[in-house]
Amino acid sequence: MTRIQRAVAKVAVFGLLAALVVNGTALAQSTGPSAAASGTSGQVVLNVGVDSDITSLNPYNLCCGPDYEYLRLVYDYGIAYDNSTLGPAPDLLTEWVPNSDSTEWTLTLRSGAKWSDGQPVTAQDVAFSYALVADNAIPFYKDYLPNSPTFSVIDDTHILWTSSKPTFAPIVPPAVPIVPEHVWSQYVTAGDAKATRKAVKGYDNADPIGSGVFKLAEYKQGQYIHLDLNPNSWEGAPTSITDVYFRIYDNPEAMATALESGEIDFAEGLKPELYNVLKGQKDIATQLGDGGCWGNIAWNFGGQDTFDGGPKPGTPTNDPAVQDVAFRQAMATSINRKEIATKVYQDTSTVGYSILMPGTNGSWVTDIPPELRFDYDPTTANDMLDAAGYLDTDNNGVRNEKGGGPDINLELLTITDVAGSVDTGKLIQGYFKAVGIDAFLTTVKTNKAYELWYTGEWDAYVWDWCPDPDPDFMLSVFVTDQCLGWSDGCWTNPEYDALYTRQQGEMDRTQRKATIDQMQLMIAEQLPTMVLNYWGDLQAYRTDRFDPSSWVKSPAVDNGLLLFGWTHDSYMNLRLIGSAAPPKAQGLSPWVWAAAAGAIVLIAVVVMLARRKGPGEEEA
Amino acid sequence: MGSQRYLARKLFHAILTLWFVLTANFFLFRVMPGDPITLLARSERLNRQDQAEQRAALGLDKPLPQQYLFYLKQSVSGKLGVSLRSARPITEEIGARLWPTVLLVGFGTLFATVFGILIGIRGGWKRGSFFDTSTLYGSLVLYSMPEFWLGMLLLLGFSGLLHLFPAGGYQSGNQATGFAHMVDVANHLFLPCLTLTLGYIGEYAIIMRSSLIEAMTDDFVLTARAKGVPDRLIRRRHAVPNAFLPTFTLIFLSFGYVLGGAILVETIFSWPGIGLYTYEAISQLDYQAIQGVFLLSSATVIVFNLIADVTYGYLDPRIREA
Repeated sequence: MTRIQRAVAKVAVFGLLAALVVNGTALAQSTGPSAAASGTSGQVVLNVGVDSDITSLNPYNLCCGPDYEYLRLVYDYGIAYDNSTLGPAPDLLTEWVPNSDSTEWTLTLRSGAKWSDGQPVTAQDVAFSYALVADNAIPFYKDYLPNSPTFSVIDDTHILWTSSKPTFAPIVPPAVPIVPEHVWSQYVTAGDAKATRKAVKGYDNADPIGSGVFKLAEYKQGQYIHLDLNPNSWEGAPTSITDVYFRIYDNPEAMATALESGEIDFAEGLKPELYNVLKGQKDIATQLGDGGCWGNIAWNFGGQDTFDGGPKPGTPTNDPAVQDVAFRQAMATSINRKEIATKVYQDTSTVGYSILMPGTNGSWVTDIPPELRFDYDPTTANDMLDAAGYLDTDNNGVRNEKGGGPDINLELLTITDVAGSVDTGKLIQGYFKAVGIDAFLTTVKTNKAYELWYTGEWDAYVWDWCPDPDPDFMLSVFVTDQCLGWSDGCWTNPEYDALYTRQQGEMDRTQRKATIDQMQLMIAEQLPTMVLNYWGDLQAYRTDRFDPSSWVKSPAVDNGLLLFGWTHDSYMNLRLIGSAAPPKAQGLSPWVWAAAAGAIVLIAVVVMLARRKGPGEEEA
Repeated sequence: MGSQRYLARKLFHAILTLWFVLTANFFLFRVMPGDPITLLARSERLNRQDQAEQRAALGLDKPLPQQYLFYLKQSVSGKLGVSLRSARPITEEIGARLWPTVLLVGFGTLFATVFGILIGIRGGWKRGSFFDTSTLYGSLVLYSMPEFWLGMLLLLGFSGLLHLFPAGGYQSGNQATGFAHMVDVANHLFLPCLTLTLGYIGEYAIIMRSSLIEAMTDDFVLTARAKGVPDRLIRRRHAVPNAFLPTFTLIFLSFGYVLGGAILVETIFSWPGIGLYTYEAISQLDYQAIQGVFLLSSATVIVFNLIADVTYGYLDPRIREA
């Protein structure tokens, strides 16, 4: 390489470095939110960090994560959730009037509602949407429409919901999306529910037509979902927001970093350690919301072999001690719920007692009295086991089955992809050991856990449940005929079964509440499952872009969720602070990249020239 | 004729390897406990009847040999089916992640290769120098460092502390086009690409260095020196081409792995690549997606291996004649 060529190469390299330093210094000096660019001016973008992609754009093929948030923003329900009570509130339907025995409900359609494609929302659309689910048993949604209902159009603004039995289903309320018949009817095969289910699930719905506040602007798989305003929404435009981005972060630390740097305005589903780090940081506030799920230890009562599809008849499927309520109550008393909440969930969960949750289930929750809470007391637990006849008859430090049987050694399943299950299981193993009960952990993934669930090859497991606002589904889990269905461990109690049937038919809320209270107390006493804690949904948000007081908790309780709750009030209410100008994007400026490209080209040219044979170079 | 027979033999071995890999992939994931439908049971409130129906709709209730034959037919025809989870065509899902994967792993591998080789050449030629010693130890440190740890350090440093680069993703989604879009993607690509480059640069540097040191002791180098050929010409025309052969194979194999993605780096930087997609498909037991991805990555590795085998034979006649 000649001297001139070396000089040119050095200039290229140093010029690039200088551009980098200048650009880097300018960026480092920028303060305030520098979120991912919010597009064109006039837009006010809410950037929300989520930890998983949506399953699909099809409202009949959703699962978890941000799926239902997307659904709720792009589609409406007929009847929505009231933010205070989680009871019924007007959405596309404004009235729902029962007849004298609640076998018929007259639903009134809101006037003037339109789809995002400009077509009017009709009574036929509403009837179609409910019938699509009910007639074809569309999974998940079908549970909201019990007793084989039929739906007919009375006139342009009224629909008749007819049930074979008295029902309160319309005021649950049914979280069934209302979809346009002119889009979805082509996927219905009359009289063939199976074909309809397959066709409906298989439709990609790449251009969703809904009546919600927002519509889909762009969806990039694995990257983000971009929603912008639906100009035809009957609800009108939100106070400030024009666009919402759900940005996918597979790395929780990256999501927390993005919130700190202002790339996003809201972070959903944080891990406890990151949540605790973000608490108290400048321009960031946190919300410990109701996670909508409770962790539990459930017992296996055996008997799976007596049900169709279960293991071979006669297969032993559980430890006999588990059948004894005195044993279960003693074991419950040995478990330190508070320590689990602290050590496993870092104080982001709260100790729980009832299978219904204060946030999600609101006024349905009954207060479990102290004598049914079985709070941690290992001394009392030991006494209870002694009194129940579980003694260490062979003096090896481990209690024996009643009547001097073998050592009690319970198989405790923990599940790796259920938050906190494994760590909770380890603590519980220690608690059991402290009262003379051996337990060994079997740690599996969810798919293996399901396999074992159905065969009954376990004594207890640490899992979770996520109830709906209406308690019916959660209560149904403990019914006898849910063995090999939703039942944890095939607990069977005819009195409980009768109470469940009674509350299903009670139209009077006060009476229904009284029955449900009894059921909660029965579960707390009999302990087919022991509620350990109510999980928190850990959220954090920036306070310098949107007025912190304009976030709306859902439900409207202290631990309500700011987003991903039961309503979309926050999106409607958020108020921008200051300028709506697009914030600066992170990264090097185009000039630096252009300089880098130029430098690379220049160096390559110099090297190529240097490799040319000079005069007198010998062929070796 | 000898070359044609060589080529034909290599092609046959490649097809046989692909068939073996496809078969192993099919059975490997089906011996895992559980099935994809039961995973959805709680979240989608699927009772046992619903589960049985969904299993039947996806052909999962058919005998295993029948499923296998259908899978082979799909693989050969390029119809990879639909995702058991999202119901989207697998080709569409893989397609959406293909370019980000090529960008990340392609550029990462390219930079690691180019800079690694240059460092290895200079280090090997100036053996014992400060440059050689420092780059050798640096290469060892980088190569032994876990990728995810390196990635986290870069993320927390450049994004968290200095706010120089985005914390994740492929693009901002600001409807930018043309050069503005390229810049946006480049800003998102910088940190993950740097992680991959630093993670693999050591491998190329060390191998190139070792090969060159060995080549420098060969007789033809001594002869060239004796003839008075300048050092830079000996290096460029004799030592490096001969030393390059082992590195050449490594380069082709590395590029063959490009379409397999880089799951750890993709996860840390939320880069929507095939590596992360593969992990999610395995977690969800999405057989169709797993099969599609494995077909793609296996075929790519086998094709690049075949190219390397054939090209190696032309580069080094001793191999062809053997």
